[in-house]
Amino acid sequence: MHCKICLQSIEKDTTWSTLFDFRERTLCLSCDEQLEKIREPTCKKCMKRTEEKLCSDCMFWEQHLGEDPLDRNISIYTYNEYMKEMMSRFKYRGDYEIVYAWKDSFQQAFHAHFSKGIHLLPIPLAESRIFDRGFNQAEALARLLDQPLFAGMIRTGQEKQSKRTKWERLSAKNPFELIETPPENVIIIDDLFTTGSTVRFAAQLLKKAGAKCVSSLTLVRS
Amino acid sequence: MNANPWSPRFSGKRLLKNELNLSETVFQGLLKKGNLIEIPGIKEMFFYNECQRCHTRKPSHFGKIPTETNQPIPHKKLRSTKSITYCRNCIQMGRVSTYEPLYEWNGPASRPPKMKQPSVWRGELTPLQSKAADAMVEAIRNQSTLLIHAVCGAGKTEMLYRGLWIAFRNGFRVCIATPRADVVRELAPRLRRDFPSIEVAALYGGTQDVDVNAHLVVATTHQLLRYSKSFDVMIVDEVDAFPYHHDKSLPKAVARSVKPCHALIYLTATPRLDLKMASRLKQIQTISIPLRYHGHPLPLPKLSQVFKLHQHLQKGTLPKKITHWIEQRKAAKRRFLLFVPTIESAHALSKKLNIPYVHSESSNREELIHHFRNQRYEALITTTILERGVTFPSIDVAVIGADHDVFDEAALIQIAGRAGRSADDPDGDVTFFYNVKTKAIVKARQYTELKNLEGKKFKKEFD
Ligand SMILES: [Zn+2]
Ligand SMILES: [Zn+2]
Ligand SMILES: [Zn+2]
Repeated sequence: MHCKICLQSIEKDTTWSTLFDFRERTLCLSCDEQLEKIREPTCKKCMKRTEEKLCSDCMFWEQHLGEDPLDRNISIYTYNEYMKEMMSRFKYRGDYEIVYAWKDSFQQAFHAHFSKGIHLLPIPLAESRIFDRGFNQAEALARLLDQPLFAGMIRTGQEKQSKRTKWERLSAKNPFELIETPPENVIIIDDLFTTGSTVRFAAQLLKKAGAKCVSSLTLVRS
Repeated sequence: MNANPWSPRFSGKRLLKNELNLSETVFQGLLKKGNLIEIPGIKEMFFYNECQRCHTRKPSHFGKIPTETNQPIPHKKLRSTKSITYCRNCIQMGRVSTYEPLYEWNGPASRPPKMKQPSVWRGELTPLQSKAADAMVEAIRNQSTLLIHAVCGAGKTEMLYRGLWIAFRNGFRVCIATPRADVVRELAPRLRRDFPSIEVAALYGGTQDVDVNAHLVVATTHQLLRYSKSFDVMIVDEVDAFPYHHDKSLPKAVARSVKPCHALIYLTATPRLDLKMASRLKQIQTISIPLRYHGHPLPLPKLSQVFKLHQHLQKGTLPKKITHWIEQRKAAKRRFLLFVPTIESAHALSKKLNIPYVHSESSNREELIHHFRNQRYEALITTTILERGVTFPSIDVAVIGADHDVFDEAALIQIAGRAGRSADDPDGDVTFFYNVKTKAIVKARQYTELKNLEGKKFKKEFD
């Protein structure tokens, strides 16, 4: 077995506790140590780190959208320097296999918060990005879970949103389009949850088209 | 002179499409003309894959990207395949895969112009340096292979000048490959100063330099992965050092980057050559330089045993012997380097002694080295990253925990070689502090004694 991040063999650091753990290990201890899981207290809705019940981001969306189309977001890791580096290798260098480093924790989070059989919607990626990178990182994450995927949404708008202010994002055109009727329950899958605007644009379309419950599972809450 | 405008940029290179940085029309045109040829990125054999850039074959170095997905790559080539195989080993230089091939220049080749007066350097060589320089000139003339085995401080760079001069006069393309970026950063400005009319490209991760048919490329060994049949003269510095030593794919990259007829010069100070290499080297002409350029012997490392040294280090306390050594330096106003085995111990010691520290991940590494060199700092704590290449004129050196695994024989020899580099102050104190006397410690001392003996003999012959 080799660590998916540093490519070193992991037999070496087997300890008694890991010896009896029969799950396939994809990370060595020293790489695993550098990933930082989100700790309480967090916003009940989006897992942003806060002492309040509801964070300012979520309040903002509730105020301005009337009703928040997103029911809940689950994230696993914080966006520390190490995660930034991993993300850049995963997305910008296009190192697909990095995704398996998160397999265990992503599956665990899914089973802890959702039930099997619900359709997953990986956030669609712009065509030009697919051409460069060779894969959609959200779909790579979704495929770790072995659940049915909903493929009825496409991206028509452009990608880069991070440089805009909240207001600009709010007034921006919804970059997605539905081409199929969505199932009743949907879990949106993405790599990063920053202000939640991307996920909420997708959730808005799903709810309008009749979805009852829309949640999201994202790897990182930044 | 070069009829083909693209030739100087791409001659002798092996690049990814995005590294070519050409418009689609020009790119397609060059392919059609046969000026660029496509090389499959990954050679898929029955039992293994081989990356055609870094030459790794380790199964764990290859990854797969599934293509039967909701959002597959819209490319006709991929319709019949289930996945793309890519190389993870060299992905920091851009992704090579079964879908992303490499390109080599196949049009008219470029040569750098012949230079009448390549150098302004007027320094003199010692008789020993001269011997090595002449052997190198011979190797360049005969396009043969030479190993120069020179102690730290022998004046390696100056030894190369005569050979470089001949090479540039003939319009040869020369590469100096070294394992460390710090060495590239130190060497390139020196060579630019002494060979002002020569086109020099300094290549390492994060550099801005580009090599457009340069006379001389000074590069980290990894940068060679972007070359193919490019150099007439290849000088490999520190052949024994990481990563050249550990990474079997790098010797292949060296072999690929030279032209079919070439001169190959290996430089080393330390005898860490694996048996395979050693046996192969028996057929190679070898020149040994046991004396430093200033003619003084190598400082003999002092051995100092400290009980429970590693427990001390873990607790963040310092044994008396070591504090005493440091106080002696301070009293004598001697500047010094403290080598420690790990980043953690560097950090702990730095806090305790109030001395700055560098390690491989220090973001301000260049700045720290710079400040120590221009005497802003009296002392510096370092991990093995300063073991090679980087030199400071007049310092003392201590290794704290010399019995740790990271300090093998070669590392200890190199570290001891940091002291006594300048002719005005050729002595310098070197002390190894350890708990258990390791083979590496003993061997490093023996090496010094042996080289000093050889040097003495040589001096007698010459005087
Ligand atoms: Zn690892
Ligand atoms: Zn929230
Ligand atoms: Zn490779």
